[in-house]
Amino acid sequence: MFSISVQDLHKTYPGALEPSVSGLSFSFPRGIIAGLLGPNGAGKTTTISILCGLVRADSGKVQVFDLAQDVAHREAIKRLIGIVPQQIALFPQLTAVENLVYFGNLYGLKGKPLRDKIDEFLLRFGLEKNGHKEVYKFSGGMKRRTNIIAALLHDPQLLILDEPTAGVDVQSRNLILQFLKDYNQQQGVSILYTSHLLEEAQSLCHEVAVIDVGRLVLQGQPSQLIQQHPECRNLEDVFLHYTGLAVRD
Amino acid sequence: MLRLLATIRKEWLLLIRDRGGLALLFLMPLVLITVMALIEDAPFRDYQELKFDVLTVDNDHGRLARYIKEGLEHSGQFNLVDTLAGQAVTEAAAKKLVNEGDYKICIVIPRGATAAIVSNANRIVNDLSKRMGLPAVAPVKSRNDSLDVTIYFDPAAKKAFKSSIHQALDNFLTQVETDLLLERIKQQLRSREAEAADTFAIQLKAVGLREQATGPTKQIDIIYNSVQHNVPAWSIFAMFFIVIPIAGNMIREREDGSLLRIKLIPGSYLAMLTGKMLFFMSICVVQFYLMILVGIYLLPLLHLPRLSLGHTYLPAFVVALCIGLAATAYGILVGTVFKTPNQALSFGAISIVILSAIGGIWVPLEVMPPTMQFIGHLTPLNWGLEAINDIYLRNGGLQQVWANAAKLMALCGVMLFIAARVEKKRMG
Repeated sequence: MFSISVQDLHKTYPGALEPSVSGLSFSFPRGIIAGLLGPNGAGKTTTISILCGLVRADSGKVQVFDLAQDVAHREAIKRLIGIVPQQIALFPQLTAVENLVYFGNLYGLKGKPLRDKIDEFLLRFGLEKNGHKEVYKFSGGMKRRTNIIAALLHDPQLLILDEPTAGVDVQSRNLILQFLKDYNQQQGVSILYTSHLLEEAQSLCHEVAVIDVGRLVLQGQPSQLIQQHPECRNLEDVFLHYTGLAVRD
Repeated sequence: MLRLLATIRKEWLLLIRDRGGLALLFLMPLVLITVMALIEDAPFRDYQELKFDVLTVDNDHGRLARYIKEGLEHSGQFNLVDTLAGQAVTEAAAKKLVNEGDYKICIVIPRGATAAIVSNANRIVNDLSKRMGLPAVAPVKSRNDSLDVTIYFDPAAKKAFKSSIHQALDNFLTQVETDLLLERIKQQLRSREAEAADTFAIQLKAVGLREQATGPTKQIDIIYNSVQHNVPAWSIFAMFFIVIPIAGNMIREREDGSLLRIKLIPGSYLAMLTGKMLFFMSICVVQFYLMILVGIYLLPLLHLPRLSLGHTYLPAFVVALCIGLAATAYGILVGTVFKTPNQALSFGAISIVILSAIGGIWVPLEVMPPTMQFIGHLTPLNWGLEAINDIYLRNGGLQQVWANAAKLMALCGVMLFIAARVEKKRMG
């Protein structure tokens, strides 16, 4: 039983010389925290966009909880997924609560159940005193935490986070990572996480897939991958071993 | 419905916290309408409402000069000036003053003008008397002089102004000549039969002129003045300026990822787009009626005419809705097509200014060259203005405005279709 299954995925954007994804295949079991890692231009964003149904693949098969990502299942998959984009996808002029009420309403949630849920998440993310402050007044870490809450309101089965800790301070990063671990353990929610912080990925993820130039280059549990490469001290060394030292655009 | 209401609430909260946007939507048009109505008040006034100083050089000192002077004064348009610094105005001095622009017009009545008219009337009476077998006794001049009343205009005077003065003076001359002729005929007949002459009357005008309303009501006193033009015109301009907040809002949502988040939420994006459209359309309608209130209550305080609204209110509401929808759809199209706020805002603002200039917002279409009039009739701002004028000036109802309202709705549909295609292509 997989949360995500990708088989022989191909995608070339119109006008692009090179494919963004070329024969990519990987899968993650349900209920784990999975890391999708790769250098810039590896194809992570394209893969996530195809998983969410935002971009149509040229060919290949994508399944989310055994549902094929196609027109027939697109809406059902959207209900299962909560996505935390890399950008702060909130309205800066609205307060955190107003943002969360709006996104909750879009998911069909309303009234006291929604307000209780918002209050609970604000508390868990240490934002209970700032819920009625406009988001543009927030620090980077507070924005990131609110950005994550907006993806959790509808109780997704699969949480996709695109660099959720980019640009945040140590305390906020620690809180976010601890929440993700707890959320995964307590709710059994599957998590797909992308990051360039490999130390973070090593400590958070049960399993990682490393992709480069649109292909899978490596997959496994971080600890096992490190063990398989005695010359590597950590996941970052393994990553560099496979993707090289050349700077990517 | 929840998604739609949530979107309306969200847009409302965003708007009330955007003071610059609020000023752009409500304060800017208020100032614009007031300023434009004041600036264009004089050019819009009929010549009948304006008074000009007219230099008169009377070399005749007869009946013709008196008639012309009385006629000009009676019209209420002219202040006659026949002396300057206690001296009678001479033709040379008058010419100089008019040429320098100190006066717009000078009328020179030549010496012997009345005598020439009297002589001409006598000649006609004598001729008629002869043909009727009566004695021709009225004195006539031996020479048939050709005299002209001379008019000097300020070189900068407009053609329409010259034309109206020409026409007025021509009427006075005809009037004097006719009066004298009739008087001479009466005198001739009175000399033959005094009793009959006592009851003798000639009604010269068998057919008169009467102004009637063309609309369903009898109201004919709505004058197309500065307020009547500028209030609806600049209200429509302001409504279309909603392209700025809508396009900016859409691009910001796309850039900060909130649009992505919205699109990843199950359910139709159409409900959210409809909520956005309904909200901004409502803002447009509020703008419209706020500006109408300015025309009714504020502008009269500045000694401008009060805005007249016609006799039915529903058609204006329908037209305001249609303009609001077209303006909102234009904002959505601009916000979809352009990638950066700078591009969208510059294009949006400049395109509205151009469309308004072409569409008769700045100056009525009627004063433009025929080609520009043709182009102007193709712009949505003109459709809106025409529909409002049909209601406010021509007392029209839904029947009169449906064609322009339908054009606005059709344009709204086309723009939304194009926006949907562009967005679909982008997502692909």
